[in-house]
Amino acid sequence: MTFDIKEQNGGMAVTVSGRLDTPAAVKAQQEIAPILENADKEIVLDCTDLEYISSSGLRLFLTIRKEAASKGGKVIIEHINDEIKKVFMMTGFYNLFEIR
Amino acid sequence: MENYGLDLHGEMLLEEFRAKLPLYEKLQQVVSNLLTNRIKDIGLELNSMESRIKAEKSLAGKLHRKGQKYSSLSDITDIFGIRIITFYNEDVDRIASLAETIFDIDWPNSVDKRKQHKFDSFGYNSLHYICTLPKHLYYDPSVPEINEIRFELQMRTALQHVWSAIQHDIGYKSEIETPIEYHRSLSRLAGLLELADNEFSRIRTAITDYRRRAQKLVMSGKFDKVELDGDTFRSYLQMRPFDKLNQKIAAITQAELQNAELMTYLPVLKMMKLDTLADVERFIHDNFDDAYQLALYQLGSTDIDILSETVGLQNLCIVYLLKMGSGKAGLIHLFNTINGKREQNAVLADLVLEQASHLSFMNK
Repeated sequence: MTFDIKEQNGGMAVTVSGRLDTPAAVKAQQEIAPILENADKEIVLDCTDLEYISSSGLRLFLTIRKEAASKGGKVIIEHINDEIKKVFMMTGFYNLFEIR
Repeated sequence: MENYGLDLHGEMLLEEFRAKLPLYEKLQQVVSNLLTNRIKDIGLELNSMESRIKAEKSLAGKLHRKGQKYSSLSDITDIFGIRIITFYNEDVDRIASLAETIFDIDWPNSVDKRKQHKFDSFGYNSLHYICTLPKHLYYDPSVPEINEIRFELQMRTALQHVWSAIQHDIGYKSEIETPIEYHRSLSRLAGLLELADNEFSRIRTAITDYRRRAQKLVMSGKFDKVELDGDTFRSYLQMRPFDKLNQKIAAITQAELQNAELMTYLPVLKMMKLDTLADVERFIHDNFDDAYQLALYQLGSTDIDILSETVGLQNLCIVYLLKMGSGKAGLIHLFNTINGKREQNAVLADLVLEQASHLSFMNK
């Protein structure tokens, strides 16, 4: 699993790929530090190559969203596959994010 | 220094003003801070608060017009002025009462313009207090004169302010100066705004009263008498009506429940023609088992151990809509309402329809 973070158009463009399972989410907690630091901006998470998300992965996304909400930023999730869409919907978290 | 063509007396008063300007600036800072903090303490929301020290040119104009009226600068009470603009009539009185507890009021020179009109005339409405800053609130031995300076506190509603600002903008400082044909038009508007101010106050009181009564009815459990609206639904949510279902769903995977805002579902419940809280209670009761079965089907084969508190209500709505035969269109409408209008909502509707097709309530 990788988090590729770039600054783009005054915001953050993050490409998330692979399987966001529990070990990957633990590792990613350190990798997302630059995202949290820039949570006052627009954060776009491109999930085209994200294959799977676990509860720990959801918690990671929620952490980013919470930080953005407190700093006045915004989180956009792009191109998630139908399985992951289902996870966001079944857990009731879908409307917390701008998913497109 | 600019020459305003004043006589010697006027020039002396202007010179005194220049020398005392730092004192006025200090007074402005102290008084503004005091009022801001006290108003915040009583939780009163203002339209605005503004203060100013008279510009030198404006003071010179005043001295030119009626300089002989003032024997010293301290006779001019509006060199520092502060204006508080409220939304409602009653709040003007609250601010006045607050000012009385903070400042020493020079009553003979204070005026309530609201009470100066005859019963059949309308015009400038504002409450003006002439105040000084008491020593127990602020005292600097190096500038004891600061507690002697009189200043003007103006209090009025936003509508009263609009009227007075427009009259001032037209260029007349008093009603006496206004030509008679415009005087009548302005008076008519003042009457209209006075009526509007009273109406806004009446509406606020009625809404507050309604909220109290609705909350009482909700808490007493007389749900059939409580119409479903923003106020009653908020009170109802305090009773945590979806907790039982949420906890049952969370138990499927021993999940933790995250706090969530449920007010976004109010338009959905209204769309489903739930008119009273008794309807909402029946809606929960009649769909509880099927909503749980849907969650069991969705989550039972996963290890997801984190859920939003919206999960129970979301499933109740899905089940209700499908039982009512609303189908995919109904689900898209549901997701448009809670997620915002997005193309993705059609995909979600298809996913839910597929899941629900395996459950007994869809196959009866």
